[in-house]
Amino acid sequence: MRERKHRTRSREPNGGKLAPYKTNMTRKLAIIAILFMAALLLCAGNASAQDWFKTGTGLGVSKARVGVPEFALRQPIPPALEKTFHDVLWSDLEYCGVLELVSPSFYPAQMPSQPSEVQFAQWAAAPANVYMLAYGNLSGDAANLAASGYLSDVHNPQAPIALQKIYRGPASDAGARKLAHQFADDIVALLSGGSLGIAQTQIAYVSTRSGNKEIWAMDYDGQNQHQLTHLKSISLTPRWAPGADRIAFTCYVPFRGITRPEICLFSTVSDRLISFPRYVGSNSSPAWSPDGNQIAFMSSQNGDPEIYLTDANGGGLKRITFAAGVSTSPAWNPKTGKQIVFVSDRGGEPVLYLANSDGTDVQKLDMPDMGYVVDPSWSPNGQLLAFSWRRPSGNFDIYIMDIVNRQLVELTRDQGRNERPSWAPDGRHIVFESSRTGTKHIWSMLADGSRPRQLTFEGQNESPNWSPK
Amino acid sequence: MAAIAANPRSDNLTGPLSASLVLHAGLVVLFIGSAIYSHQGDSWGGPGGAVTVGVVGSLPAVPMPRPEVETPSRVVDESKGLYKTEPQPKIDPPPDVTPIPKFEKNKLPKYVTRPSKILENPAPPPPNAIPYGGGGTPTVPYSSFAMGAGASTQAGMGFEGPGAGNFGARFSWYVEAVQRKVSSTWLQSTVDPSVQFAPRVVATFDILRDGTVTNIQVTKSSGNPSVDSSAVRAIRDASPMQQLPPAYSGSKVSVEFWFDFKR
Repeated sequence: MRERKHRTRSREPNGGKLAPYKTNMTRKLAIIAILFMAALLLCAGNASAQDWFKTGTGLGVSKARVGVPEFALRQPIPPALEKTFHDVLWSDLEYCGVLELVSPSFYPAQMPSQPSEVQFAQWAAAPANVYMLAYGNLSGDAANLAASGYLSDVHNPQAPIALQKIYRGPASDAGARKLAHQFADDIVALLSGGSLGIAQTQIAYVSTRSGNKEIWAMDYDGQNQHQLTHLKSISLTPRWAPGADRIAFTCYVPFRGITRPEICLFSTVSDRLISFPRYVGSNSSPAWSPDGNQIAFMSSQNGDPEIYLTDANGGGLKRITFAAGVSTSPAWNPKTGKQIVFVSDRGGEPVLYLANSDGTDVQKLDMPDMGYVVDPSWSPNGQLLAFSWRRPSGNFDIYIMDIVNRQLVELTRDQGRNERPSWAPDGRHIVFESSRTGTKHIWSMLADGSRPRQLTFEGQNESPNWSPK
Repeated sequence: MAAIAANPRSDNLTGPLSASLVLHAGLVVLFIGSAIYSHQGDSWGGPGGAVTVGVVGSLPAVPMPRPEVETPSRVVDESKGLYKTEPQPKIDPPPDVTPIPKFEKNKLPKYVTRPSKILENPAPPPPNAIPYGGGGTPTVPYSSFAMGAGASTQAGMGFEGPGAGNFGARFSWYVEAVQRKVSSTWLQSTVDPSVQFAPRVVATFDILRDGTVTNIQVTKSSGNPSVDSSAVRAIRDASPMQQLPPAYSGSKVSVEFWFDFKR
């Protein structure tokens, strides 16, 4: 890289050396050429004098302090909707993991509803010490709701507003939630440098509250819980396709006269099952390739439970593991799509194995302790594995491992059984099932193990999977 | 016809026929058996190549802003995590009846401890001494951290060169977003584990209007190739960034980004 730089610099003196020519004519030509080149250089210099800035890292980064005063009402809207909007916006921003919300008790007395009303000095001074201010106003009628949202840099009153958008939706509880989620996602994207927020993602899970184990889905904050499948048998291990338009899961359906576990596909667009081939033996735990074209799953169609790959439309079946014992629970590296981690008991106890996605180069992930290691889930940046590990001490707990240097962190402890982690698409949150309240429910937490929150409260709920968008 | 059929010597094929049937059945069984047997052989690559895993306090790959001083998490304590949590020790309630201790009048202590001169006459603490536990990073309000001029000592930012103060001052939130994003994609695990400390790496890159990062160059090497390449990788992984602010008229922004590596 250095050499290249020297080369570009040495071009200017070379340009000066073009001059020595003998005849008058050529000398004039040379002068004209030099002038022309100088003009060109000047132009290029002007063009490259664009804005730039300088920054760095090494000591860690603080979270941005954000103030979120309540939106002003431009037109009367139902108080319930107003409260929903404010609660959802606050909880989205507070739970996103990159912001620090300033407590409303530190806010100045006057709440702004539009940029001209912001008292910048008051917000910037102690005790508020706000860095960015998210504010706006709400309006609407009987059918519609509109929120004008602004995000201002409090320390630069002259600077343009970072974000100003109008969000529109129906005047319903779901509509108010959607507006708040969209505004929160925009703020998170702006302040985290382009990594998307998760406020509009969904979580699929298995629930027994209709009498059978069926696939359900809910918003990431536990709202809007609704049933997807109505198979009236057993449905397990839902997995979102990368486009979030399909869910693959393990279903118990009759095939050749026997009810056996098979792979089923459910379309969230058309709200019904999509055809997928049936195989003999038991088939379970599907996993999508990151491009959405292939599904890896466990099948015992040839006797031993092994991992197979198939195209998402059912063609091109291929077996990729060949070892005595069970191999199951595959998970693709979502960043590269070139690696698969799976669970196998070929060495005695079920532990994790890493392999290329064509089944070659199988490596065992040796753990520093005994016990079952199951339910692997790969983080969106391809760096971390989350899994549940049953130590000899008896309980299942969630761990994450850096796949490069194989370092481990324990995220849960002494809080019932914690199993089946699944990463959020932002890589900052994990959803899992926990029995800490006595029954199995879905919980989510930040990926450093902090701030667990319960999402489901009815029936038995297990096997959550976070939608990729 | 009848004469041929009646000839017992020439046409009695049942013996050879049954023998050949048995032979062929045996061959088929052998074929299927060998096919099944060969499919249950060793795995590709085998189960070898095991890798050891270690336990640490925290992993940097989670893209969350890290505090400048890491406080150890109680949940992810590294030393005790490998063992079962110790049960509460059983404390017996004090007995109701205890004998009255005998009054020992004439018993003198065997050794007399002398008062320590150091503890008795401590040197007065200097006036600027930091009380125990009060050290660490100063709790500066975020505003002064963000806008502070100490760009050379903190992971803050400074604005220099042509067009100085224009972009950085107008869109300081964007500058910080870039800093936050690159910090979250810069992973310790991409640096050679034997490196404890490296001089500052300075890299430059351009952010196009749609947030794409191009033209990544190391302008000042740390002298350690693995640290340099980890910096380049961090910038590459941070692409795409947030789109340039709509209020900004230019087509791209150049960034000079420094990395201070310390394990």
